[in-house]
Amino acid sequence: MQLARRLLATWTGFVFLFFYLPIAVLVLYSFNASRLNIVWTGFTFEWYARLLEDRVLVRTLENSLIVASVTTLLSVVLGTAGAWLLHRYRYRGGALLDTLIFLPMIVPEVILGVSLLILFVTIGLQLGYTTIVISHVTFCFPFAMAAVQARLAGLDPALEEAALDLGATPPQAFAKVLVPYLMPAILSGALMSFTLSLDELIVTYFTASAGTRTLPLEIFGRVKKGLDPSLNAISTVFVLFTALAVFAIEALRRRNP
Amino acid sequence: MRQEATHFADAPASAQHRPSRAAWLLLAPLVVWALAFVVAPAAIMLVYSFMQRGTLGGVVSAFTLENYAGVVDPVYLRILIRSVAYAALTTVLCLGLGYPVAFFIGRADPRRRNLWLMAVMVPFWTSFLIRTYAWVTILKSEGLLNSLLLQLRLVSEPLELLYTPGAVVLGLVYTFLPFVILPIYTSVEKLDGSLIEAALDLGAGPLRAFARVILPLTAPGIAAGVLLCFVPALGIYAVNDILGGGRVDMIGNIIENQFKGNARNWPFGAALGTALLVAFALLYAFVSSFSRSSAARLR
Amino acid sequence: MTRTTGRALCASLAALAFAALPAAAGEELNLFAWSEYVPQSVLDGFTKETGIEVNYETYSSNEEMLAKLVSGAASYDVIQPSEYTIEALVKEKQLLPLDHAKLPNLKNIGKEYWNQPHDPQLAYSVPYMQGTVGIVVNTSRIREPVQSYRDVFQSKYRGRIVVLDDAREIVSWGLATLGLGPDQVTKESLEKVRPVLAAWLPLVKVYDSDSPKTALLNGDVDLGVVWSGEAALLIQEEPGKFSYTLPKEGAHMFIDNLAIPKGAKNVAAAHRFLDYVLRPDVSVKISKEFPYTNPNVEARKLLPKDALANPASYPPGDPKLATFRDIGRLAADVDKLFTDLKARSGS
Repeated sequence: MQLARRLLATWTGFVFLFFYLPIAVLVLYSFNASRLNIVWTGFTFEWYARLLEDRVLVRTLENSLIVASVTTLLSVVLGTAGAWLLHRYRYRGGALLDTLIFLPMIVPEVILGVSLLILFVTIGLQLGYTTIVISHVTFCFPFAMAAVQARLAGLDPALEEAALDLGATPPQAFAKVLVPYLMPAILSGALMSFTLSLDELIVTYFTASAGTRTLPLEIFGRVKKGLDPSLNAISTVFVLFTALAVFAIEALRRRNP
Repeated sequence: MRQEATHFADAPASAQHRPSRAAWLLLAPLVVWALAFVVAPAAIMLVYSFMQRGTLGGVVSAFTLENYAGVVDPVYLRILIRSVAYAALTTVLCLGLGYPVAFFIGRADPRRRNLWLMAVMVPFWTSFLIRTYAWVTILKSEGLLNSLLLQLRLVSEPLELLYTPGAVVLGLVYTFLPFVILPIYTSVEKLDGSLIEAALDLGAGPLRAFARVILPLTAPGIAAGVLLCFVPALGIYAVNDILGGGRVDMIGNIIENQFKGNARNWPFGAALGTALLVAFALLYAFVSSFSRSSAARLR
Repeated sequence: MTRTTGRALCASLAALAFAALPAAAGEELNLFAWSEYVPQSVLDGFTKETGIEVNYETYSSNEEMLAKLVSGAASYDVIQPSEYTIEALVKEKQLLPLDHAKLPNLKNIGKEYWNQPHDPQLAYSVPYMQGTVGIVVNTSRIREPVQSYRDVFQSKYRGRIVVLDDAREIVSWGLATLGLGPDQVTKESLEKVRPVLAAWLPLVKVYDSDSPKTALLNGDVDLGVVWSGEAALLIQEEPGKFSYTLPKEGAHMFIDNLAIPKGAKNVAAAHRFLDYVLRPDVSVKISKEFPYTNPNVEARKLLPKDALANPASYPPGDPKLATFRDIGRLAADVDKLFTDLKARSGS
């Protein structure tokens, strides 16, 4: 068993190496002296300094974070509710609803973007944060729902029955028994939604307005001129910041279990 | 309260319950959402697929079937088949690479599991474009990997790694691996360790314990992982564009071209999209009804 | 009338009166242009001088712009279409005619930009930047001259070529070698150009319209046919290593323009912006950031010597150039031909 554990650990190590190799390169090249950032020409902190002046870039990062956070919240709520309700109850048309919810995953982003744009224009909804969030949630919450569904499969119904037998109301049973059980799946769904929303490009192009540009839009826009290292810099700063935040939260949690 | 408890006790453990009015009310937001933001846009696209193209893009209200004739044109079918092949290969590789990782994290110290998950996801919070260009930097002929190989004298000439189908597969696996690891993890995490121990105590070798006990119990996670990898991989357009040197066109690129390229043929793009949608919907409905009936049989 | 109704009426009348006042202080201009094609300094300068705030929304292709424009999602005051798109927009009556009286700086535009087929009188558009599509060569790797499309697509350069990922462009190059102009696109000419392209495409290593300079700087390719702006950036980055030549058979000259779409809300501000951009001191700022060919002859006089010497920005000689015309529905056939050949030649 120990051998198995060691093998798994080694395998995981290699996969993590695979994950972080381009990140290491990305961080390294944030110090690249060349503006075109294609070949390494020298070391400099210039791009980090530039970040402080690049209001546009920082604002787009803020927009992305706001959108991603709201999207994640809504996706997790809708996804968990959907997975649970469809698992628990035999609705008429439940299978249809289930399939419908996963459609946005297969629809190519450009089609989703154009059709949502036309929809918004038809119903007179002005483009902005609301429309971006709606479009992000539409294709993110199937991911959250799939994660929770996987966790629900094979759920022992006796769990909930026991809680109800002991006098809990159905909402209490849900909150005190099911949600803790589903937590790993909810967290997985949240992580996936956040990741997807943060990097979303095409659908956002069609549903955003001038004042609500997101970071991917800004970065893609700069390809023509050259992806200067300040873009690497902002990615590095963001990753460092989240890593530190995560460790801080974990450390706090350990202190107060 | 007592009566509800009795009702549940009478019902067979595996059956779904008939929805009460409260249950319908709870479902309502989802139904509204699906109708508004899935059905309505899909309907718009369906209508567009039967129209003719406008001069500036867009459509003109004139019925035609020419777009669907175009869908079955061998030029595009070839690309569709290629997309399916790449998506399938990517899914298989992701499962192979990702399952052990999901298992490792799922059986790790409970206090550390969330940290591991974060560690999996954090790289993907950097911009996709910058990440992919980082791979370009690594794989190019004067890049890091080739420099390393040349230094170690493992090769005498730089390998052609970039702008190849291999690079595309690498990029695809890189993009979707986390989305396979996470769902499998949720299944692994709830595995009862005693079940595995029991199997091993009864004399099963580790491989048999895996195949007969662990694998079936984590099947829902695997299924979810396959769904969350294969389906979006079919619509991919950017990874293959950059890492394949624009030579590996997928169906996602074709559709994108109709709206954003100089083809300016929205109805054709809509027809291709609708065809993909219908194919997926049928496949998904078939697979989920199959899994539902087999789950019922298992109980 | 009760007192409350009277008050309400007064309040609404006041509100209406306020709404009707020209919003001088909060005036806005909705600019819809290519990403990274209008320097922030130009926008800031405009706001400082006129007090008009500029909302800069961006796109990365003409078709993307059309998609949002045609859908009516927002009203834009100024857009930035390429020449063949201007032609289509004019045909569909989607552009407002320009009031030349409000554009005194229009006289700074070079004579050669008038009488272009897409807008001969500059009645609907004002040239912003011009460029070409030509041959760039890494001269440290390739010593012999490469001066035509035929020179580029030779089997000895197999796997060392980068080209734009653009069906229209590539087809026009093939047509040029057959002695046909880029708009002589018909079903027959497409059939004729098919074998030409079928022989060319297997030699290509990279298709890239966004950043072809990447592959050239990487050393993964040694030559290519790319936008002049990309070549100019290469020459700036590594002087002496790269050359830029316009192909003998004929090259595409593209002109990006500013225009006012039909639904514009603030036409007066739009004209002010156009005239502002036509000022030589403003135009030269744009040139400094984007080394394309500046159509503003007065602005060219203010450019530093090395900018004017960049052969990609200001190609010497008298090359054979042609703009793209709108080819209507045949654009789909062009796209299909390219897709088919690309799929067969690649992997």
